[in-house]
Amino acid sequence: MGNSSSLMLRDEEIEQISGETEFNRNQIVRLYSRFLSLDKKGQGFLEREDLMNVPELAVNPLGDRIVDAFFTLAGKDDKHLNFRQFVQVLAYFQPIDKTKRNENNDRSKKLKFAFMMYDLNRNGYITREEFKVILNSMVGANITADQLDKIADRTIEEADADQDGKISFEEFCKAMEKTDIEDKMSIRFLN
Amino acid sequence: RMVPSPLAEHAILLASTFLFPPVAFVVVIVILLATLGKSLGLRERYVATLIYIFEWGAGQIKTTAKLKRKESLMPLDVPIIDSDEEEEEEEEEVDEDENERRTARSDGYESSSGLSRRRRNSANSVSSRASSVCSLRRRHGSGNNIIMRDTQLILDDEDDLPIETMHVNSRGWAVIGDSVDFIKNGIEAIIEDEVTSRFEAEQLMTWNMLTRTSTRFFQFVNWKLTVLYMAGFVFRYAFLLPMRITLFVIGLVFMLVSTAVVGIFPDGALKKTLNHKAMLTCHRILSRSISAVVYFHDEQYKASNCGIAVANHTSPMDVMVLSTDNVYALIGQSHGGLLGLMQRALSRASSHIWFERSEAKDRLAVSNKLKDHVSDPEKLPILIFPEGTCINNTSVMMFKKGSFEIGSTIYPIAMKYDSRFGDPFWNSSEQSWGEYILRMMTSWAIICHVWYLPPMTKLENEDAVDFANRVKKVIAARGGLVDLEWDGMLKRCKVPPKMVAKQQEKYANRLSRYTSTCEHLTRTPGSAPTLNDEAEDDEGIAASPTISGYNSLEELPEDVAITDEEDNVPPVPRSRSRPVSRVVEAPN
Repeated sequence: MGNSSSLMLRDEEIEQISGETEFNRNQIVRLYSRFLSLDKKGQGFLEREDLMNVPELAVNPLGDRIVDAFFTLAGKDDKHLNFRQFVQVLAYFQPIDKTKRNENNDRSKKLKFAFMMYDLNRNGYITREEFKVILNSMVGANITADQLDKIADRTIEEADADQDGKISFEEFCKAMEKTDIEDKMSIRFLN
Repeated sequence: RMVPSPLAEHAILLASTFLFPPVAFVVVIVILLATLGKSLGLRERYVATLIYIFEWGAGQIKTTAKLKRKESLMPLDVPIIDSDEEEEEEEEEVDEDENERRTARSDGYESSSGLSRRRRNSANSVSSRASSVCSLRRRHGSGNNIIMRDTQLILDDEDDLPIETMHVNSRGWAVIGDSVDFIKNGIEAIIEDEVTSRFEAEQLMTWNMLTRTSTRFFQFVNWKLTVLYMAGFVFRYAFLLPMRITLFVIGLVFMLVSTAVVGIFPDGALKKTLNHKAMLTCHRILSRSISAVVYFHDEQYKASNCGIAVANHTSPMDVMVLSTDNVYALIGQSHGGLLGLMQRALSRASSHIWFERSEAKDRLAVSNKLKDHVSDPEKLPILIFPEGTCINNTSVMMFKKGSFEIGSTIYPIAMKYDSRFGDPFWNSSEQSWGEYILRMMTSWAIICHVWYLPPMTKLENEDAVDFANRVKKVIAARGGLVDLEWDGMLKRCKVPPKMVAKQQEKYANRLSRYTSTCEHLTRTPGSAPTLNDEAEDDEGIAASPTISGYNSLEELPEDVAITDEEDNVPPVPRSRSRPVSRVVEAPN
């Protein structure tokens, strides 16, 4: 049976979330429905395992990194995700409305998510080793360690403006300047 | 859990007592009709009335929601249920139905002559049924999309990915760029994916007066609605439920007894005919116990003998539903208890395949048993559900190839349930058998459309998996279901690591492909690759910096060459030197 949980979302909560994230009511209700269906145990919050239960995410080479970034961005308690936090993180992926003033803010939020994926130990820098780990997840055993090293080295080098051997968030943003982040990291939410 | 107070209990018992004579009467009539294979067409009218009520309810919902919206200036979200005038009418209608039902109760079967049944019905119900079939097939349960998906992880071996002509920087930043695509795919999957939704009951567009489907809709709106709901509740639990339980028990007893009797006869044509009649009758009684209304289409393709019938699987009732029209041999694991009793009973009257749990692992043994059965022309066609597990009837998942390897004729059957009156989907990890049966028996009705499809055989150049996919496609198309590649077993287990490895491999291929196009760009047409693989990779990496660095994307080749010279201070010393001249001849 579908949403067997009887937790209903109260109007005030919907209003609040709508104000914070710019999703409209419809979208929030549907996201809540999704939240409930991911929360199979009916605990009222999501754990990492709940997200990894989605087969399409589990098959994604970066699946667990994505989940990790999700939880890290959500808040202090990085083991549990309540609905509000869930929507807040998803809000990062809203399309950027170019007419609004805080366009740069949105772009930087999206980049922040990507940065989180790479920065494994969350110290604010991407090191060569961290990059190698990510690259390794994406290609698996299909390239040699040597090639991996080379690619990692080359990458860090190119973006490392201050030559400290690692990439900070600013350097990351600069390197991604030419990439169309707005499009790549926006999801089309239906009304 | 329902724990009735003493007063409520008393009331229910009283109601049941007063209802007993009509219930008993109805039961007798039903059995008579089932045995004779006749019908009175009343169940159809019941269904039609319910449809009318629900649709009217939906209309009311919309108007009331609009009113509410105007009042509170809130945007409309899910349909709110509220209906004032409508309820009184509904209550009247419900009374009428009860009267109808007290006189006689049966389903819409005619005797087994003629291709399409229920020709006797009025034009109204035929046309409404036809339109409801069409709309039924369009409903994939996917009407509640939250996002429009842009990315998709491809599961099978499609290698025709479009190669981007954008200039890649170094391989490294290309990877980061691609990882963003993976991120997007991941987030989209979190919001909405094809699989998770298939293991939940289909979401309804309007409420059908059952609590179990009401969580999507605001619950308490109006006391009048609550009254209506209570009336429906009492009707279902106090009238329908006892009748259905009685019928169910009678049906089971009938099955045991009739198979025992048929089992006396020696194998032969007589036994076969008797078995046929007995099975049909007994399943018809059982199907009335859940008020199953089944519509069969294209009966000329019905499986007659030898061969394997395959169908998509939604609920344990599938076997029963299909057996009301045709007799099949069954295959499955042998159980103990009541189910084991039934299995032994069935085996007395005709041959079925039951295998032990240990044998189930031995695919070859099972396959051999299947082959033996199928090659015997005296035996009945076997009914198999290749998905291996119950899916919620909005999609068809991967078919296991076992039954398609045998080489016999396959008779595909598509089944689509109309879940507005009761959802037959069973998620065994969420509901126990008992709960499920209770739900079935307190639903309004179970409506199913069954399409028989032309028989198919495996082509010579086709392997079992392709054949299975071909059959699956046909079934999905006919039933209006979404055809998915995912394995139904994902309901219970995690994704196996080899699927992840496959994605990695695909990505690595993609990566090497478009970075090697960079190599092509920097290599002159005449130069033969004289270096071995490892060197090529070095070359690749060495070559790609020619257009590396974000700032050099728009720059001219000469600049590229120059910056490359400067740039060429690799952290790892290269053993081969790259001739400068080659770089200068770089592309355009």
